Amino acid sequence: MAASNMKAIKRRIKSVESTMQITKAMELVSSSKLRKAKERSEQAVPFFNLLYQTMSEVASEAVGFHSAYTELREDGAALLVVMAGDRGLAGGFNLNVFRLADARIRELEQQGREVILMTVGKKASEHYAKATNRVLGTFDNVGETITTYTALHMAQHIVHLFDQGHLAMVEVFFTNMVSPLTQEARQMQVIPVPNLERNPGVQSLTEYEPSPEAVFNSLIPQYLAGILYCTVVDTYASEQAARRIAMENASDNAQEMIDDLSLKYNRARQASITQELTEIVSGANAQG
Amino acid sequence: MSAFPLQIITPEKIFFEGEVQRLIVRTTEGDVGILAKHEKYVAALPSGPVKITMADGTERIAALSGGAVKVSPERTAILANAVEWAEDIDVDWAKRSEEDARRRVENSQNQQDLQFAEMKLQRALNRLRVSSMQDKK
Repeated sequence: MAASNMKAIKRRIKSVESTMQITKAMELVSSSKLRKAKERSEQAVPFFNLLYQTMSEVASEAVGFHSAYTELREDGAALLVVMAGDRGLAGGFNLNVFRLADARIRELEQQGREVILMTVGKKASEHYAKATNRVLGTFDNVGETITTYTALHMAQHIVHLFDQGHLAMVEVFFTNMVSPLTQEARQMQVIPVPNLERNPGVQSLTEYEPSPEAVFNSLIPQYLAGILYCTVVDTYASEQAARRIAMENASDNAQEMIDDLSLKYNRARQASITQELTEIVSGANAQG
Repeated sequence: MSAFPLQIITPEKIFFEGEVQRLIVRTTEGDVGILAKHEKYVAALPSGPVKITMADGTERIAALSGGAVKVSPERTAILANAVEWAEDIDVDWAKRSEEDARRRVENSQNQQDLQFAEMKLQRALNRLRVSSMQDKK
């Protein structure tokens, strides 16, 4: 009986060990991918800051500035861009952003607004595959390889729909990597363009060609593409960070289990030796 | 000729940063030359060539795929979706992408497809044009 028990424990140790090898490997892969993703998301910051600053200046300096992209339309649908990972095994990473987006969808629908979706990441397209909402586009496996062209392509889809008058607002749901240890699901309003400083009293000396509105509107696809690029890269970095932590925890748990099982195995081994000894001794005694 | 600081930024990286004597960009209204002490100026840029005269007088050409130029007293900045030096352009790749774009223009199902395909075609043609400008120089 003891021998079969020992065998079973040994088998479990083996299986936990091989699981641990996988989680360890995944942890390492995520760490190196995280490093690359972090670099990429940092590189995008100067571009985006300058772009946003330029747009703010156009909107604030030009007299009587007016653009369709800065005012909320009464009717028209809301487009929610939901970004998640392409894979699971990353703790609550995918779930957190879905919870946030789902709540917003319900809220908007209660207000009587139609909600159109655009998904980034395989997990997001799977999550919304059964939803009744119209899906404008699904972009799977873009996190690691996204280029400005992909982002621009996505942005042009959105701008096109907006220009036809179908959209009233655009919001992005993504995960922000606060630090390698904390990721936070966020909601960001993109259109109408928020927080543009306005001080209409100041007349600007800047010359805009062809006109302030034309410059502003031509920057919109870039602005959208910029936001999409930054948020996709940020989400991807968060996914890797979340997975690294999840896998680190899994490896730790596996190690704990192995320690626990080794203890049990040694106890069982000792028990069987003791039992054998007792048998031999008592056998010898009986004969003597 | 006096020099002024120029920065060319894309979302992926800071493409160029340094002192230049002259900058020529193609705006929606036509070519515009920018020298030091230019007035404050902002313009949208479609796909087109960018010509830069460096501080040492050498001239370089780059292919720009859409963006904007912003001149302020402190510096001049070009925000670009993508930009490549003429000598770095892969002509074969640009030709293939031109053919692909032409096919897409012909096969486009709706207005939107057509618009995307035309933009792709413009980018490819711009690359080829800039690359040949470089060869002539």
